[in-house]
Amino acid sequence: MSNNKEVLLSVRGVDISFDKGGKKPFRAVKNANFDIYRGETFSLVGESGSGKTTIGRAIMRINELSKGEIYFKGKKISGKISKEDDREVIRSIQMIFQDPAASLNERANIEYCVSEGLYNFHLYKDEKDRIAKVDKALEDVGLLPEHKSRYPHEFSGGQRQRVGIARAMIMEPELIVADEPISALDVSIRAQVLNLMNKLKEEKGLTYLFIAHDLSVVRFISDRIAVIHLGRIVEIAETEELFKHPLHPYTISLLSAVPMPDPQIEKPKKHVVYDESKRDHSGEKPILQEIRPGHLVFANDREMKEYEAKLQEMEKLEASDK
Amino acid sequence: MSEKNDLFTLAEFDERESEHIAAPRYSYWKSVWRTFVSNKFVVAVCIFMIIVVLFAMIQPMFSHYDPMYAPNINDPSSKFLGPSSEHLFGTDNIGRDLFDAVWAGARNSLIIGFGCTLINMILGIIVGAIWGFSKKVDVWMIEVYNVVSNVPFLLLAMILSYVLGSGFKSLIFIMCVTNWIYVAYFIRTQVMIIRDREYNLASKCLGTSTWTIITKNILPYLISVIMTYISREIPSNISYEVFLSYLGLGLGQQNASLGRMISAYTSYMTGYPHLFWIPVSLLAIISVSLYLVGQALADASDPRTHR
Repeated sequence: MSNNKEVLLSVRGVDISFDKGGKKPFRAVKNANFDIYRGETFSLVGESGSGKTTIGRAIMRINELSKGEIYFKGKKISGKISKEDDREVIRSIQMIFQDPAASLNERANIEYCVSEGLYNFHLYKDEKDRIAKVDKALEDVGLLPEHKSRYPHEFSGGQRQRVGIARAMIMEPELIVADEPISALDVSIRAQVLNLMNKLKEEKGLTYLFIAHDLSVVRFISDRIAVIHLGRIVEIAETEELFKHPLHPYTISLLSAVPMPDPQIEKPKKHVVYDESKRDHSGEKPILQEIRPGHLVFANDREMKEYEAKLQEMEKLEASDK
Repeated sequence: MSEKNDLFTLAEFDERESEHIAAPRYSYWKSVWRTFVSNKFVVAVCIFMIIVVLFAMIQPMFSHYDPMYAPNINDPSSKFLGPSSEHLFGTDNIGRDLFDAVWAGARNSLIIGFGCTLINMILGIIVGAIWGFSKKVDVWMIEVYNVVSNVPFLLLAMILSYVLGSGFKSLIFIMCVTNWIYVAYFIRTQVMIIRDREYNLASKCLGTSTWTIITKNILPYLISVIMTYISREIPSNISYEVFLSYLGLGLGQQNASLGRMISAYTSYMTGYPHLFWIPVSLLAIISVSLYLVGQALADASDPRTHR
C-alpha cells in the first residue's frame, strides 16, 4: 500500500543532540528514518524521554538537527531555507501542543489566539472575513463564536485544547504534528478530542503525526505506528500488524503494559520488562530493516533470522486458528 | 403515562442561547478599569494622590517660592513660628514660609521621581526585552551589566555632579545614566522566565515575528510586574533625590527640594518638630499612596482577577 501513496513528509537519518558544545553531548534522537504518507495518521509511540517530542519539534523546526534532513513534499525543510519556503512550511505544518493551559497566551482573548496565524499571513480579506473565519474555526471544533472575547483561563482543559486545535486548523495546514494532545486531559474528554481530530481529518484531508505514549489511544487513531526507544526507532508497522505481530522486545514490553479492563485477562498477564543492557549485542550493528512489506524492525542479521522464525510461527498459528 | 404526557411538555433547551447570555463581550482595558474602580479604598487614595500632585504642581506657580529669597532673615519675631492662619505650616530658622517651601520642594521631587522613572522604565523595558529574548545580545550585555553594576553609584554621582554642576537636568541625567540598566536586568530576567514557555513556541509555530511575540505575548504578562516595579521605583527615586540632596550632590541651594529641607531641619526635630515632620510626612504620603495605587493597578491588570 505504501508505494502508491504520496510521501508528504520524510525524515532521513535525523540525529538530534543537546548540549553540543558541552563535554557530554546528549543524543536525544539517533538516526531516525520514516515517511509519512498523505492522509494517514502516523503515530510515534515510546516512553517519556524517548525523543518523540524532540522529533515532533524538529519537524516544527524548533529543535535543530545535528545530522540528517527532513523533507516536506520533496523539499528540504531542515537547516537554512529561504524566507518564502519558511512561510510556506509554517502554513502547511501546524502543531497541537501537549498542555492546553501552557500553550495559550493567557493575556490574549480567544479571538486573538485563534486569529494569530491569520494576522501573520494576512489570510483574510477584511475584518469581517477574519471574524467569519474565526467563528467558523470555533464552530468546527465545537465551541461557540460567543466564546471569542473570553480569556483562556475561563475555559476547561478540553475546551482549551479545542482552541489549540482551532488555532492550528485555521491555517488550513496539510500536516499536523499533535504532540500528546490528550495526555493532559481528563479521561472523560479524551474521546471527545480524539473524535474531533478524526472528524477534522476526514473533512479537511489532513495528515497527522500523532505523538503519544498510550498505546490504546494510538490503536484507535492511527494507521501506522513507529515505536521509539531511547531515541531510536525500533519498529514501524501498520497498526493492526504491530498489535498482532510485535517483534522487537521493546514493542512486546510496551504492548504488555496496556491495561485491559478484563480481570480474567489482566490477572495472569505478565508484564514484560525490557532491559536494553540484557540484550545480546553480539554480531554486527543492527539497522532498521524490512521484514514484511511495511513492517520494519531494528535488528541485525542474526536477530532478523530469529524474528523471521517467530513471525512465521505466529502466522502459522493464526492460519491454523482459522 | 399518557396523562403525564398531556400535562407536561418537554421544554427545549438551547445551549447556544444560554452561552450567548453567559458570555457577553468584554474588553480587556474596560475590565482592568472595572477591577481597579471596585476597590473603593484605593480609588480614594488615588484621588487624594492626584489632589496632592496637582497641588504640588500648581501652588508653586502662585507662591513663586525661591529658597534664596529670605526677606525676614533679620527679623527674629518671624522665625520658628508655629502653624497659624498666616503661615499654615509655620516658618523656619530664617523666616521662610514652610507651606510654600514644602510644596515647591514636593514639586521638584515629584518631577525628578516621575521623570527619572519614566526614562529608566522606557530604556529598561526596551533594552531588557531585547536582552532577555536574544541569546546573542545576552552574551555581551551581561558583561556590560557586570561592569556598570560594579561601579559604585555614589562615586559616579559625585564625579558627574562635579563635571555637570548641580541643577535639574544634571540630576536627572545622573539618576538615569546607569540606573536604567538595573531595570533592564530585571526585565531581562522576567523575559527569560517566560520566553521558552510553550505558548511562545506555539506563536513561533504560527509564524509570529519576534517583535510581535515580545509585544503581544511577553510584555502583557509583565504588566503587573512592571506596575509593581514602577510603584516602588517612583518613591525610591524621590528618596534618592532626597538622599543625593542630603549629601549635597543633588539640587543646588537655588532649588527647593524636600531632601535638602529634611536634611536642614533634622537638627530642629526636638525644638521645632513641625519643621522636620511636615516635609517627611508629605514625602511619606506621596510614596505610600503611589505604592498602593501601583499595586492596585498591578492586580487589576491580571485578567484572572476580572469577573
